[in-house]
Amino acid sequence: MLAGPAGALVLAFVLAAVAMLIAGVSPLDGFGALFQGSLGGRRPIAETLVQTTALLFPALGVSLAFRAGLFNIGAEGQLLIGGLFAGAVGAHFAGPGWLVIPVLLLLGMVGGGIWGGIAGWLRARFNASEIISTLMLNFIALSLAGYLVAGPLKSPLASGAETAPLLPSGWLPAFPSLGSISFGDTRLTISILIAIATAIVLSFVFTRTVFGYELRAAGEAPEAARRSGINMPRMTLIALALSGAVAGLGGAAIVTGVLHRFNTQLSPGYGYTAIAVALVGDLNPLWVCVAAFGFGILEAGGLAMQANAGVPKDAIHVIEGLIVLVLAARRYFATRATGAPV
Amino acid sequence: MHQHFELVGRLRVWQNIMLGREPRKGMLVDVDRARSRVAELAERNGLAIDPDALVEELPIGVQQRVELLRELEREPSVLLLDEPTAALAPAEIATLFATVVELAKRGTAILVVTHKLQEVIDYTTRVSVMRHGKIVARYLTTETSTDEIARAMVGGELPHVAQREATGTQACLSVRDLTAGVDTTTVSDLSFEVSAGEIVGIAGVEGNGQTALADAIAGMIPYAGAIELDGSADALKHRENIGIVPQDRHHEGLVLNWSIVENAILGRQNLPGIRKGALTDWNAARADAEAIIERFDVRAASPDVPVRTLSGGNQQKLLVGRALLGDPRFVLAYQPTRGIDVGAAALVQSRLIEARNRGCAILLISFELDEILALADRVLVMFRGKITGSFSGAEIDRGKIGRLMAGLT
Repeated sequence: MLAGPAGALVLAFVLAAVAMLIAGVSPLDGFGALFQGSLGGRRPIAETLVQTTALLFPALGVSLAFRAGLFNIGAEGQLLIGGLFAGAVGAHFAGPGWLVIPVLLLLGMVGGGIWGGIAGWLRARFNASEIISTLMLNFIALSLAGYLVAGPLKSPLASGAETAPLLPSGWLPAFPSLGSISFGDTRLTISILIAIATAIVLSFVFTRTVFGYELRAAGEAPEAARRSGINMPRMTLIALALSGAVAGLGGAAIVTGVLHRFNTQLSPGYGYTAIAVALVGDLNPLWVCVAAFGFGILEAGGLAMQANAGVPKDAIHVIEGLIVLVLAARRYFATRATGAPV
Repeated sequence: MHQHFELVGRLRVWQNIMLGREPRKGMLVDVDRARSRVAELAERNGLAIDPDALVEELPIGVQQRVELLRELEREPSVLLLDEPTAALAPAEIATLFATVVELAKRGTAILVVTHKLQEVIDYTTRVSVMRHGKIVARYLTTETSTDEIARAMVGGELPHVAQREATGTQACLSVRDLTAGVDTTTVSDLSFEVSAGEIVGIAGVEGNGQTALADAIAGMIPYAGAIELDGSADALKHRENIGIVPQDRHHEGLVLNWSIVENAILGRQNLPGIRKGALTDWNAARADAEAIIERFDVRAASPDVPVRTLSGGNQQKLLVGRALLGDPRFVLAYQPTRGIDVGAAALVQSRLIEARNRGCAILLISFELDEILALADRVLVMFRGKITGSFSGAEIDRGKIGRLMAGLT
């Protein structure tokens, strides 16, 4: 399981090095800047973990849907709606942090859950392809959120289109200090712990619960699952709603942890990159954590690479694309060689 | 000639036979020459056929004739037949082999791949037995017997098939006025009962409504009429009461990427012994898997290997083992020995009879008349979605059943 994704990672970096050579940049300088900017010190590491967290929630959501055999490519929209719910209420919600923060996170799950649930309902009721509907719902989410923060929900004090800021009691606490290393002055919060806890819970659900068993059966062998007494339309609805809820939780985590308000720049495409993260992690929640960290390095290091080595940040997306391509090719060749999907 | 027909249903008989080798007249197909070629072939081989019939409208036995004619059109010196009788009624089988034997007499070498031993004895001159991809025995047909071939296939003595005890009389499954199915597979106004401690066999050629009947009983398709277990329609929905061996083990019965342990509880995942609160009791699941492996002699390196790595026969034994787990009141066995060797088949049949002796009601659907005759206490013949005959005990008559299966009276 590890050898495959790890091998893919190595191969993708080799190919990226070739691309840098063609572009006239020394790969040593390029990757040097990349890793210096993502792992070379307390602040870069904190920023890498912030990116890791932002990718991890939607990637876990995507994994859940994929395990149920449903191609949820709408994590981006679910993330956005989750953030919108948290931001819209958080702007007006005063109270102690122990109350406000859980409520806002829960609202994020509700918002993302509704957005994923819509696609689930369309699939369950009308057999509408969730691939199309989740993708389309991304654009609807973006337009809807854009309209709301430019109009009804716009903060009168803000110059741009965004909600009023959350009261500090609604902010996620900073990541606890490790010995003498403090993260108080970085953007890193306990949201990474929440994300990892979510992964552990999902892993437990998949392997130990009857619900997880039925969800995996529905994904692996739909006809056998149906004949085993699983209500497939219901499973479709629940799986997509839960998938959206996990992504929506990620949106709320960005609002409460990083932005402290909602605007539509919440995500630079985390929901799409999350699909690659989920696939690199083999849809296994614990490996998805590792994959998210890998992609977090790329996202955080990309800026440094652009600034210090003159490699455009877009090169990061080339590397990400190469990783997915190499993985897909690996599966294809494995399938062709053995007749069995990996 | 392939086991599964390779015909174009929407083309006519002559078009199918000449496909890819059409005689030409300039850029066009020389229709007259093609049709007369087909007529001449049919005449010479004694295979009556209408060259202009649409293939999809023909009965299975006649489609088989089209398949055969298409191969004969090439004037082969060697003819390979892969399980040629899988979809045929007994009368059609006799007709097919009459033609094939005639071909052999006129100098064509014929190689038949089949698992039906009686056909081997009845129609061939020499036999080779294959096991695990190797030829393990060769016989002259006149000097061997089905028993000897079966022993060679298994590589030892056949397991002893369990003795049957007296039939129960208490009705367990009752089907009344059942109408179900769509398009090609339907049943209408079916009524029958299966008693506790009884095996009722549904004899019939594939495609006469067996799938609709099985799916209705399994609750997979809507139906009109009544299906009850011990007088209650609800009892049929309780998984602990029924065991089902589905027709298609790969799509309907197993999750191929999963282990034996995970597959052992599929369909039983919500039963009290397996479900503990919200959790799956994997220890209980493992115990079930090990029980199946032991009782059904499932050959696997461990209970944790993916069932994809098991042979078809072992997969089938796993399915039957799962269906019989927990002594259900009623078992629906659809082709329970499909595609497995005679040794494994005898084991599966023994276990079914043992379940029957313990008081289980078993509905056996099979396209193999031999299997029905070996197992069933009562035989119902199904033709075009209706029961056209019922035989029990001493009345069971192979010839009569065979004729009814072909739609004759």
